[in-house]
Amino acid sequence: MAVAVVAGVFGSMLGVGGGIVMVPMLSLAFGAPIKVAIATSIVCVIATSSMAQTTFVSRGMTNIRLGMLLEVATCVGAVAGGVTAVLIDGRVLQFCFAAVLVYVAWQMNRRGGDVAPVRTGALEACYYDPAVGHDVEYGVRRTRLGFVLSLGAGNVSGLLGVGGGAFKVPIMNLLMGVPFKAAIATSNLMIGITAATGATIFYGRGYMDPHYAVPAALGILAGARLGPRLAVRLSARVLGIIFQVVLLVFAVLMVVTGLGQ
Amino acid sequence: MNAGLEQRPPARTHVMDPIERTVRWILLCGIAVSVALMAAGLVLGVARGAALPRGVVPLAEIPRGLAALRPAAYLSLGLIVLIGTPFVRVAGSLVVFVRARDRRYVLVTASVLLVMCVSVLLGRA
Repeated sequence: MAVAVVAGVFGSMLGVGGGIVMVPMLSLAFGAPIKVAIATSIVCVIATSSMAQTTFVSRGMTNIRLGMLLEVATCVGAVAGGVTAVLIDGRVLQFCFAAVLVYVAWQMNRRGGDVAPVRTGALEACYYDPAVGHDVEYGVRRTRLGFVLSLGAGNVSGLLGVGGGAFKVPIMNLLMGVPFKAAIATSNLMIGITAATGATIFYGRGYMDPHYAVPAALGILAGARLGPRLAVRLSARVLGIIFQVVLLVFAVLMVVTGLGQ
Repeated sequence: MNAGLEQRPPARTHVMDPIERTVRWILLCGIAVSVALMAAGLVLGVARGAALPRGVVPLAEIPRGLAALRPAAYLSLGLIVLIGTPFVRVAGSLVVFVRARDRRYVLVTASVLLVMCVSVLLGRA
């Protein structure tokens, strides 16, 4: 449960679900069967998203319209994941995934600070950032490209069962010009939707185990109250650095999982 | 941890639009109900001296389990409410978009809800 609290803080602070960490942790450290571990991790993602959104939405940091638009692509991509599974070997995909994570971390590092918000007339939004002390107004760029890439990201994450948020945040931030904090909040909204779909299927198939899921969910709910508050107050630069480190950890875990198969 | 953070100026209040209010309200209700159910399940489990159950109760058997005060039924329903909350949240935002006559996002949100339902149905097979 303590692990779940920590996972809740980090996941909700960075807009990622953390399935890539939770699944091996549950199965190796707590001895959960792999399907049960995945099911538990999905429940954790939902808990993270629901709890974190109560804060992000009230601060106006979540771009709900943008989230729903990209979610269409992500959902369709995820459903099509089964098709890709036939075409590409899972291990090759895991290594590619790891490589992309490293590339994204490098790109974010090279960029240094946050993107400069530009008003574009598309999906504009505004939130107050206490770390900079003024309102941040921004518009979204390259909506089409973002949509297509979300399709791909959804496809890969549907296939590997992980990696939703780790791609969504950089796609929105680096390509679409969404400020880092808004990208985190919007990604957090989206991962909850994707996870709810998966969780329903796992529940129906009987992989949900209250022995793991209930303590994990309660722990996450507690942790996810703190994470968004940190995300709101920390500077985008610090958040960005933490995010890059997490991406690299994800990449390493992905390679380890790939080699272990 | 909070001591250092409280030095900063207090957060200004953001004026929520109807969709933000709706989403937040749905989430708060969903979380409250699911936590209450899971807590009830845990309390019942302790009261009966039983360990946490290892499997969930199928949807059809939950009403009977609730009536019989079975911890597993309360824990399962708590998880179902938690899992169901994002569905309700999407449906809620759809209603707000319909009311606002925001055609584009009625279409977008309806597609999300549709794909969610379709993939659940596909997954059952």
